[in-house]
Amino acid sequence: MASFRYHFAILSAKATRLALRIMGRGATTLPGKVAVKFDPLLLQKLCEGRNCVTITGTNGKTTTTHMITDIFRNCGYTVVTNVSGANLLSGVTTSMIFGLKDIKKAEKAGKKVICVLETDEAAYGKIACQIKPKVSVVTNLFRDQLDRFGELAHTRELIAKGLDSCDADILLNSDDSLVSELYSGREKRTVFYGLSEESMHYNNVTYPDKSGVLPASSDAEYCTGCRTKYTYTARSFGHLGAFSCEKCGKTRKKPRFYVEYDLSRNPSDEGYELSLCDGEGSSQKKKQVKLPIPGMHNFYNSISAVAACVRMGEIIGDKEELSFEKCAAALEHVEAAFGRMEKISIGDKKICVLLVKNPVGLDRALSFVAGASDAEGIYMLLNSNIADGKDVSWIWDVDFESKEFPKKVYVSGDRYGDMMLRIVYSGVDRSQIVAKPMEECADLLDQAISDSTPGKCLYILPNYTSMLALRSILVKRYHLKDFWK
Amino acid sequence: MENREIELRICHMYPDLLNLYGDRGNVLSLIRRAELRGIKVKLVPVSIGDEFDEKDFDIVFLGGGQDAEQNVIRRDFVEVKGPKVKDAIEHGMVFLCICGGYQMLGKYYQEHDGTKIECLGAIDVYTVGEDVRFIQDTVYEADFLKDDKAEDSSRLYGFENHSGRTYLGPSVKPMAKVVEGAGNNGKDGYEGAIYNNVFCTYSHGSFLPKNPRMTDHLIRIALKRRYGEDYELPELSMETEEFARAALLRYKEKGNTAP
Repeated sequence: MASFRYHFAILSAKATRLALRIMGRGATTLPGKVAVKFDPLLLQKLCEGRNCVTITGTNGKTTTTHMITDIFRNCGYTVVTNVSGANLLSGVTTSMIFGLKDIKKAEKAGKKVICVLETDEAAYGKIACQIKPKVSVVTNLFRDQLDRFGELAHTRELIAKGLDSCDADILLNSDDSLVSELYSGREKRTVFYGLSEESMHYNNVTYPDKSGVLPASSDAEYCTGCRTKYTYTARSFGHLGAFSCEKCGKTRKKPRFYVEYDLSRNPSDEGYELSLCDGEGSSQKKKQVKLPIPGMHNFYNSISAVAACVRMGEIIGDKEELSFEKCAAALEHVEAAFGRMEKISIGDKKICVLLVKNPVGLDRALSFVAGASDAEGIYMLLNSNIADGKDVSWIWDVDFESKEFPKKVYVSGDRYGDMMLRIVYSGVDRSQIVAKPMEECADLLDQAISDSTPGKCLYILPNYTSMLALRSILVKRYHLKDFWK
Repeated sequence: MENREIELRICHMYPDLLNLYGDRGNVLSLIRRAELRGIKVKLVPVSIGDEFDEKDFDIVFLGGGQDAEQNVIRRDFVEVKGPKVKDAIEHGMVFLCICGGYQMLGKYYQEHDGTKIECLGAIDVYTVGEDVRFIQDTVYEADFLKDDKAEDSSRLYGFENHSGRTYLGPSVKPMAKVVEGAGNNGKDGYEGAIYNNVFCTYSHGSFLPKNPRMTDHLIRIALKRRYGEDYELPELSMETEEFARAALLRYKEKGNTAP
């Protein structure tokens, strides 16, 4: 039975949230932080007996969480989920505490409940044992703020620790050699998702890899087992692709869930079509969908989200409501999360915010903007707070050289000098760039928006804390609604 | 003399493995500041199993990597390419080595538990791994870059991220004095190493982009070595780089201004 400790912890969280709200602040993590002080096992108690999905990995967590949430909701479920960024113990706990009301209401009404929880990859090892998810999605492992987490192998160890502390069904990205490694020792509970080899971007001579002067830094060129260089028959982006090791035989596993995509189409276009598939041969299920969130990395996010929902249906015995058909169809109604390709209208002008936190994210965003037919301006913001990683040298790991920049380039953030230099060194003319310090970022936004032509889009690429700043500017100056309301 | 075609041949060692913390920015800098002067640049990646021959190159760049990657190349670098790299260094080939690359040129790397990992031993330095990592912006003062015409000509800006402490033997000079940051070992106030034409530093990432005088210095000595002492490197504006340096100084004075 719930203890005094439990109730007191919940009460403390509510009081904290009230206080924060009175101060006009968002309360996405602090209430949980306070509550956990009173009851360290609070999260475990909150998750006990519930059906939880966790999403972890370096990139795509927020979008995937968002997609899974929307699919479940579309399939008739009540979903408790955490807001972007609040993905440590404190944030996940906060979301569960304030989700209790919805859960109870739903249970009274006889509705089914699912908890969809984004979890930080470095924190996963510690919190998976409390959440005890039924399904755990691992998105990918790309370099991310190495000065904070150490190296990728270490991050994978932390995820492995989390996976071993629960008995979740594991959904792994078949195309990521670093992630698919997690298969070994967990074979029976692993399901793979990925792209079909034919749909990988660089498998085809008609669409050759546009590489700059230097190849972009890759995170995993060599076999994690025997240290031999992988051979790739196809690549999607970064180190993702159809890899195999000639020496030890380690190779990409064929995924159960996969995407088929016509490579002659432009993934930067909105509403592009792709096919989601489950299985092969006579039992293959295939569904063509139009995805509202463009960008090739969203292929992976989409298929992993559908896979997670279908597997959950199989595990909890709701194959009817969570059929492959229904889950895939529900994807079409997904909306972008803030900072994830959401197009926002400001008067007759349009902006699109693409959060970029690490090399592969920036590579994807630049390549997306280069392909977007409505791209007229690009506004890049680079900060170096602790949440961003203090080291900004990763911008040099990205292949800017092969990407075409829009005509107008704006640069801000505390590290505007570094970013400006990076862009100029890639071949963009200095005279195309307006670079201003962080204190002037709001005015620069005004200028960029007023410079833009109706019908065209200004693409804004902030990193984490500059995105928070940008968001509050959009709320204050452009009266957009804030995220926690 | 005016009409002769000048060429700079850059060897990028293990670009597929040693590619951490933006080290490729250094190669991009060499390329850019050479090409803007009309110098033809030839860039050759040399990785595991590839032949290294000093007569093919004017500058060698060796960066840092994740531990796992460094272990992969150690055998190839120390045992296979080692003797040729050592010869090249003795003959005065220009090298720029960052962090892991710096450590690997030295005699050994001693891990936390006392295990000594044999390194190339091309320069008289050794490194001892410790628990506390130095992660911060850095400023150094390098006398060899002093130019009376420019105020901060000998200032070098960088970012360090290392747990190894490197100690220099008598045949090796430090590259610079530490103004901000830890430098080689956090104790003696020096950063990096110079031996013949080998320049080593812990300064990661965009070391050369932020330090165009250093970039020019490397290009200059490499081309003088190839085309003779009378070769003069053409003047080239540093305006963009100076803008970035000013922005960096501003940041250092004000710190983070965002939430």
